[in-house]
Amino acid sequence: MSSLRNAVRQRTHRERGQLPGRERLGQLEKHKDYVKRAKDYNFKEKRLSALRQKAHFRNPDEFYFKMINSQTKNGVHITERAKSLPDDMRKLLKSQDLNYVGYARSIDKKKIERLQGDLQFIGVADEEDEEDADEEMLLDGGASNAGPVKPTHTLFVDSEEQARKLDVAKHFDTLPELVQRRFNRPTIDQLKTQEIIGPDGAALEKLRKQRSRKYRELEARLDRDTKLADVEREIVIQKSLMSKGRRKKIGTDKHGLPVYKWKADRKK
Amino acid sequence: MGFGDRGGRGGRGGRGGGRGGARGGARGGFGGGRGGGRGGFGGVQKRGGFGGAGGRGRGGARGGRGGARGGARGGAKVIVEPHRHAGVFVARGKEDLLVTKNLVPGESVYGEKRISVEGGDGTKTEYRVWNPFRSKLAAGILGGVDHIHIGPGKRVLYLGGASGTTVSHVADVVGPEGLVYAVEFSHRSGRDLINMAKKRTNVIPIIEDARHPHKYRMLVGMVDVIFADVAQPDQARIIALNAHNFLKNGGHIVISIKANCIDSTVEAAKVFASEVKKLQQEKIKPQEQLTLEPYERDHALVVGVYRPPPKKN
Repeated sequence: MSSLRNAVRQRTHRERGQLPGRERLGQLEKHKDYVKRAKDYNFKEKRLSALRQKAHFRNPDEFYFKMINSQTKNGVHITERAKSLPDDMRKLLKSQDLNYVGYARSIDKKKIERLQGDLQFIGVADEEDEEDADEEMLLDGGASNAGPVKPTHTLFVDSEEQARKLDVAKHFDTLPELVQRRFNRPTIDQLKTQEIIGPDGAALEKLRKQRSRKYRELEARLDRDTKLADVEREIVIQKSLMSKGRRKKIGTDKHGLPVYKWKADRKK
Repeated sequence: MGFGDRGGRGGRGGRGGGRGGARGGARGGFGGGRGGGRGGFGGVQKRGGFGGAGGRGRGGARGGRGGARGGARGGAKVIVEPHRHAGVFVARGKEDLLVTKNLVPGESVYGEKRISVEGGDGTKTEYRVWNPFRSKLAAGILGGVDHIHIGPGKRVLYLGGASGTTVSHVADVVGPEGLVYAVEFSHRSGRDLINMAKKRTNVIPIIEDARHPHKYRMLVGMVDVIFADVAQPDQARIIALNAHNFLKNGGHIVISIKANCIDSTVEAAKVFASEVKKLQQEKIKPQEQLTLEPYERDHALVVGVYRPPPKKN
């Protein structure tokens, strides 16, 4: 019977929330929150006082080995760890370093890929360069204008005379000022008929800025990737130098790192 | 944070937390929260070193990147400019994108981005982003090739369809009136190709060796253009075989040549020249050749015409 009565009289329990005017202070603190906060506070206080006491009763004449083994440089605490560690331990640490660099690189690579997918270098390579025309055959090596990233475009025509006479703008059926716009050279017909819908004025300028920011990020990431690749190579060299075997320095590679050659020893 | 009694670990946790705070993302927060908790003296309040966002746990609200959305969405912020090649568009907003009109609106084929743009009359058009770093044809288009000969209503024989990523864009370009025969030898990537073709009715997937066109001659009719991305040493022969079988007189071929796959010992330009020579012997007259920098190294796109009609003087 009583259980039934309880069921009827049950009132929803409502918790007090933070006052609208005090929302900047976060949620209203409840007792259990206070307990946590107070415990933490007291814990820290105790710890601090213990340390203070320790410092107070310190014997200034006492000697510790850390006094000579460690030092601070510009406020940074330095221990001579690397020297004191055994070789195999150092090798292990090197492999961990290597793994981390590889990990960082793989993250970077993913981001680069995504950025490249977004940016696609449209209009980046379009600077002043001339199209080539050639009769029937390729230019030898296509050496005329190929920069490191610029594509070489070869048009094949029937005779040398045609090659000489070729008007590039006419060939592409576009305006002369659009010839350098590699990524899209609209035909004259298209220019007459099609209209382009899009933002203008300030919005356009904003988009341009956003785009150039993305290009800068991509550039920075590509730069970082090459640097990390160098680091990776160097760690591999250091690690392999710690291994056994006779080796000889045979020169430096294009990144300025030494190249070693190990003598082929028969493993038993 | 701790007082350095337990040394390294506490310190590490703190730093992780700090980074999370600065970036304000759940990812950074993950490191902070966990490391921080471990690092402290088992204190009651498990918070990352510098508090704030660092304290947000692993399952914190909404992860860093909002999935495939974001990016180029938001129609009004993009200029869609029709490309010289019909069916292809260039979208320039805060990103530079080559796009094709999506034949199956609302669906991506291989996880590519989509952008939907409102036209002047209030109709929405959806475009799919075509990545030139993954597709040689897209790289050629952005490099400024004169004609791709693939346009609305064209019938295309696509050799080396792979998983059907580029094929899907070609299908977008030719539209519902056109037709794409996509030939791929590998069963594994052919499976993706078939799945893609289920949604795009203008694609006919053929899982056969392109070296033996007689095996699929019953499926393929006369085509206007052959696109080949086969990367085989004897690719000129493969293309010629298919051209003799299926390409109409005066039809075109567009091929992508990977210099390394033909001969890795000679320099790229020589390889391209020799391939062009081989094509000429097969009654294919070269029209243009374009290297695919900066998207691919030592690749070229060659466009030619098959058995051109004799010149009238």
